[in-house]
Amino acid sequence: MSVSKDDLRDLYAGRLGWDKTKAIISGPKDDDRFETAVEVLQEQVSWPERILMPLREHLYVVESGGERVVKCDCGHEFGDWRRNWKLSALIIARDDEASLEEIYPGLRRPDPALCEVREFICPGCGSLLDVESVPVGCPIVFDALPDLDTFYAEWLGRPLQGVRRCEDLTHEITSRWGQAEL
Amino acid sequence: MAATNGSGGAQIVACDAGGTMTDVIVVDRDGSFAIGKAATTPGDQAAGFCEALDEALGTPGGSPASLAAIEACVYSGTSMLNALLTGTGRRVGVITRRGEEDIFLHQRSRQSWAGYGHADVLHHVAHHRPDPLVPRRLVKGVEGRIDMFGVEAIPLYEHDVRTAVAELLDDGVEAIAVCLMYSYMNPSHEQRVAEIAAEVIAEAGDPPVTLHLSHELAPIIREHGRLNTVVLHAAAAEPSRAQLLRIEAALHGRDYPHPLQVLLSHGGVADIRYQRLHESTFSGPIGGLLGARYLSSVTGVDNWVCADMGGTSFDVGLIMAGEPMIDREVTVTRRIFNLPTLVMDTVGAGMGMFVSVDPLTGRITLGPESAGADPGPVSYGRGNDTPTVMDCALICGLLNPRNYLGGKVVLDVDRALKALREQCADRLRIDAHDLAEGVLELVASSMREHIRTVLSTRGFSAADYDLLAYGGAGPLLMAAYTSGLPFRGVVTVPWAAGFSAFGAAAVDLSHRYQKSTGIIVPDGADDGWKAAMGTMVNAGWDELEARASEDLRAEGLSWDDATVVPIAYVRYGGQLEDLEVASPVRRIDSAADMDALTDAFEDLYRRIYAQVATHRQAGFQIFDLGLTVTIPKVKPHLVRRDVEGPAPPPEAVLGTRDVYHGGRRQPATIYDMDALRPGNRISGIAVVEAPATTMFVPPDHHVRVDEWSMLWLTAGDQT
Repeated sequence: MSVSKDDLRDLYAGRLGWDKTKAIISGPKDDDRFETAVEVLQEQVSWPERILMPLREHLYVVESGGERVVKCDCGHEFGDWRRNWKLSALIIARDDEASLEEIYPGLRRPDPALCEVREFICPGCGSLLDVESVPVGCPIVFDALPDLDTFYAEWLGRPLQGVRRCEDLTHEITSRWGQAEL
Repeated sequence: MAATNGSGGAQIVACDAGGTMTDVIVVDRDGSFAIGKAATTPGDQAAGFCEALDEALGTPGGSPASLAAIEACVYSGTSMLNALLTGTGRRVGVITRRGEEDIFLHQRSRQSWAGYGHADVLHHVAHHRPDPLVPRRLVKGVEGRIDMFGVEAIPLYEHDVRTAVAELLDDGVEAIAVCLMYSYMNPSHEQRVAEIAAEVIAEAGDPPVTLHLSHELAPIIREHGRLNTVVLHAAAAEPSRAQLLRIEAALHGRDYPHPLQVLLSHGGVADIRYQRLHESTFSGPIGGLLGARYLSSVTGVDNWVCADMGGTSFDVGLIMAGEPMIDREVTVTRRIFNLPTLVMDTVGAGMGMFVSVDPLTGRITLGPESAGADPGPVSYGRGNDTPTVMDCALICGLLNPRNYLGGKVVLDVDRALKALREQCADRLRIDAHDLAEGVLELVASSMREHIRTVLSTRGFSAADYDLLAYGGAGPLLMAAYTSGLPFRGVVTVPWAAGFSAFGAAAVDLSHRYQKSTGIIVPDGADDGWKAAMGTMVNAGWDELEARASEDLRAEGLSWDDATVVPIAYVRYGGQLEDLEVASPVRRIDSAADMDALTDAFEDLYRRIYAQVATHRQAGFQIFDLGLTVTIPKVKPHLVRRDVEGPAPPPEAVLGTRDVYHGGRRQPATIYDMDALRPGNRISGIAVVEAPATTMFVPPDHHVRVDEWSMLWLTAGDQT
């Protein structure tokens, strides 16, 4: 089954009927699904940088000035894709009763001694990009670090220019935080 | 499939009208059969039916033969269901209890994955509630409540009913379905709703709106399935009856002297004037089970695994001790209905399934979609370019391109080969013939696993069963999908393609009634308690019996001719599943009678599970009662023929053809199935051809034709 570009566009916009959506969920992916999806998304953003991989709603890894950075629809850039973009976002940490009460009133509120809810906001447009609910003190979760070079070279068969080692570089940020406090 | 123009003349006509094709089987007095096929004609089903009938009678296009000598004509089809699902049925409004107006939106959670394949059942993201059967606007709630003991807890708010009916009439409904909680324990509220509704309808100038009550149509526990059933009846039963009456009129026009009958999903047969006509909705696939039950009564083989392979699915059902199993709920087209239905487990494995290569894993993928009859496989040349399982069978030489459906369709082997090569084999870098053979083995292995699952999940062993392969495609892969399973025997019949229709011809006239109740017999209950519970059981059976005798009278049948079997669904206290127990006593008038019933349950329980599984300490519960009434009807006469020598007659040998098997081309002997004689034996590698079916006999396999013309397949040295 090959999914047309129009159907993918409707899927992203939430307009695709259930029958087709179900067929996409249950069917195998067609060879060109990734390319078509990226084309659809590229048409929808206002900036010219090439999308290398969509990360989640609003966020993409793009090629920008020879670097691979995480970028929002609105154009805000979060820096190198190997550093957890969440650390460069605005964060609302709901870690006490009052702040949790705002979203989970009454009996639905979790115990702030056990859990905290973090909301990550784009500094450029104010969109809510992600929410994590984690035990108190848990480091900020790095959801996914895609191995772009392997994916492009071995799955798509067209390697990207300038291979970068795929490793978590989040510590480059957090280690600086440590030094600043010292 | 023998010709019908035998000395006996045609005696029984049975029809299976599917979504695409209508099959008719005509059974002669001397036991021979003929099958006719025609495209289903949904607008006026009489047209397709008559075309298929004429083909079976051997008079297509000629002057229609008289049907004066036919003794029974049984119809089964799916038109009612299609009417409901395509919205071409009547406009139905629903009255339910207040607070439950969103029932079609909530549904039962099971319905969100009902009808899905295994992978989709596991993947929550694919779950989805089917569209509501009735739009929310046409569902009205009324206050009032009967509790689980049948006692009125809140009186019926009659003004609610008046408003609800008036609003539904304003909305132009053609039928009103009423389903209130626990109405099967106490129908007084539903009856009162009906009275008020009749008044309101009369006040509105008597528009032609009909009323349908759940306690009359499906007095079975669980509102959702009960309501679905009532809506099915309200929307589709009467339009469907009109179709059936047209067919009957066409038959009467040709001197057929009896009423037309329909097959019911629990295996009975009824006059088309039968009140609960919706029970015929799901009768299509069960015909084969009834055919197998009939074979049991004739041949003495009483445990069958029935395996029906068609274009889109592979259905497996069991006959145990000569009887099929019954479920009180059935899931069809992703909806749950409270309708007693013979159990068949279905898996997507049909000849029409698409064959493709998964781009991610590089593995062969089968289905889940199928090509259907139109456009059909690539080899039909009617516009489908995606190869199917059937194309693979053709490429391997198992099917004869010039003798498919009796030569009605000429198959294009090159076209099928090209499609399989370009879309699959080249991508996998293997030979297309090897791939085609591999695909057949893949299909066979999923069928084999399905059979194994059907048996093992119930704790049964293949060693206690004979396998009966039918459906047009059944005999083709029967050797492959039974390989390694220790069946007592593996068999097919020359009329495999029309076996479901044959089954419909082989049933007695019978009705089945059901009603929920709430009877509890704790361990150590005293005689007084048992007798009191017995009174409740009797009340249930009396009610069902009254309904049954009324139905028989309406059909012009005599109660004196009927065999009546009372049924109780018994479970141990606290269990979720129960067993259907045919009561050894006609009524429960004493503690001893109750003990006889629970003893019969324990005896059955012991046979199905094990002695150690019994635990009467938990007491017994009965939540459903049932009743069957049966009146004997004329059935096909299966003829026992004299056994002849093992060598097939010369006219049965059609020549040889290369088939691709075991990774190479091998010459196979081609036989004409209709020309084989009882006693004949043939050995693989061979292909046995009949107009509507083909049997493949691999190397080291043998076929023996028995005195009933059934073809027994054995492997290796067993003969």
